[in-house]
Amino acid sequence: MNLIGFVSVLILVITLLTIVFGAIAYFMYKIRERKRKAANRTYSYEEALEHEKSEFIYFE
Amino acid sequence: MKTLAIILLILLLTVGMGVTLYNFTQFYISLNTLFAKVGYTLIFIFTLLIISRYMLLLFFSLLQLLFRITDIELKKQTRGPMVSIIVPAYNESKVIAKSIESLLLQQYENIELIIVDDGSKDETFLIAKQYEGEMGAKSVKVFRKPNGGKSRAINFGIEHSSGELILVVDADSKLNSDAVELLVRHFENDEIAAVAGSVYITNQVNIWTKLQALEYIEGLNMVRNGQALVKAVNIIPGPIGMFRKSALYDVGLYDHDTFAEDCDVTLKLIAKGYKIDFEPEAVAYTEAPESLLDLIKQRYRWTRGILQAIRKHAGLLVRPRGNVTATVVLWYMLFESILWPTVDVWVNAFIVFVSLTQGVSLLVFYWWMIFTIMDMAAALFCVLVTGERLSLVFYAAFYRLFFVEIINTAKILATIEEFVGVKMEWGKLERKGRL
Repeated sequence: MNLIGFVSVLILVITLLTIVFGAIAYFMYKIRERKRKAANRTYSYEEALEHEKSEFIYFE
Repeated sequence: MKTLAIILLILLLTVGMGVTLYNFTQFYISLNTLFAKVGYTLIFIFTLLIISRYMLLLFFSLLQLLFRITDIELKKQTRGPMVSIIVPAYNESKVIAKSIESLLLQQYENIELIIVDDGSKDETFLIAKQYEGEMGAKSVKVFRKPNGGKSRAINFGIEHSSGELILVVDADSKLNSDAVELLVRHFENDEIAAVAGSVYITNQVNIWTKLQALEYIEGLNMVRNGQALVKAVNIIPGPIGMFRKSALYDVGLYDHDTFAEDCDVTLKLIAKGYKIDFEPEAVAYTEAPESLLDLIKQRYRWTRGILQAIRKHAGLLVRPRGNVTATVVLWYMLFESILWPTVDVWVNAFIVFVSLTQGVSLLVFYWWMIFTIMDMAAALFCVLVTGERLSLVFYAAFYRLFFVEIINTAKILATIEEFVGVKMEWGKLERKGRL
């Protein structure tokens, strides 16, 4: 196989991988943001009461 | 000598691109299905369109440079109208001190520095407060307000300013010491409402930031230089942009309904018939995202923000209302933000498909080669103009190979989310403090 032919195959493989990787990276970013958002979420006192299904919250 | 060598190299690359384009056209004969032939024809038309756009911008940019050299009116002045520098800051404790110090080192004397802490959760306000006071003709005021977003923080700063010119600077930006005086001189022309400065990347520490540096000098600075020829720069960048205060009030200051407030305010000014210029020598250094996911995060916000801004002025796309410049600018932005990424990814997918079904052809090589040569020629031109490192040209080979592809894929997915109406948040990037 000549050099240009080899480079063509190489570019083809990289192009294919890049398109797939681009989409995967995008969804990885979305998942990361969702996790960060969940980790940084703050709860109000009322929400904590609701979550605990109790009249009071006890702190240790 | 170096300049001459680079010019000769650019010419050589242009000839190389012509030869590659000729070889590219020869493939039409070898394709044996109607589907492939139609696809190829579309690719060819699109390629010609992109090459024309590049060449036109390069030509405009060159013309603009020649005009600048002969323009004797643009003289530096360290004393002139009061300039209020607005720095909106949210959780910028790592970079705010360096940013303020660079602004205080400005050679232009008549400066009022307004730091607006937008309800930071870190020590941004305390750090900034240490600089408050009078320093000769320069003064620093630090305000704190509840968190309300960047556009509200900028408007707050403008409302508390006394200068007739407003310079909006990102808190993670560091300016050249002559940036303000270089920008101010453009406002001697009464028609100019705003002037954009150049943005360079300071943290060129890995392949992602180096590719972004190339993108900034080529895609942003060269494009803005070309647009400046017709005084219709379409985005005043967040890190450095100067405005005439009266023009800002005329368009109702910054709006809060987009995630690209800089693009939106520029479009509002253009829609009102104002002219927007570019000053390549007024430089702001800024931090670029260092990881791929942070880069996607930034581009996600840019893409959706720009689309939101275009949508606000969509009426001008079909009805110029005597403002043809605004219509051309909007179509150009639509091309950049939707058409180009979509067609680029489609072309690559099509080439992969044709190669897999009809055997690997040299088509993919020539397609990549055309754009890589074009990028290299443009990068060489920009390096010549901006004085950036020549080594950046080397990255042009990787730029087209995977960087643009990944960014364009993210842009397409962000565009789909924008049309579907997926809820979004600002998405602030974490600073590394490498200013």
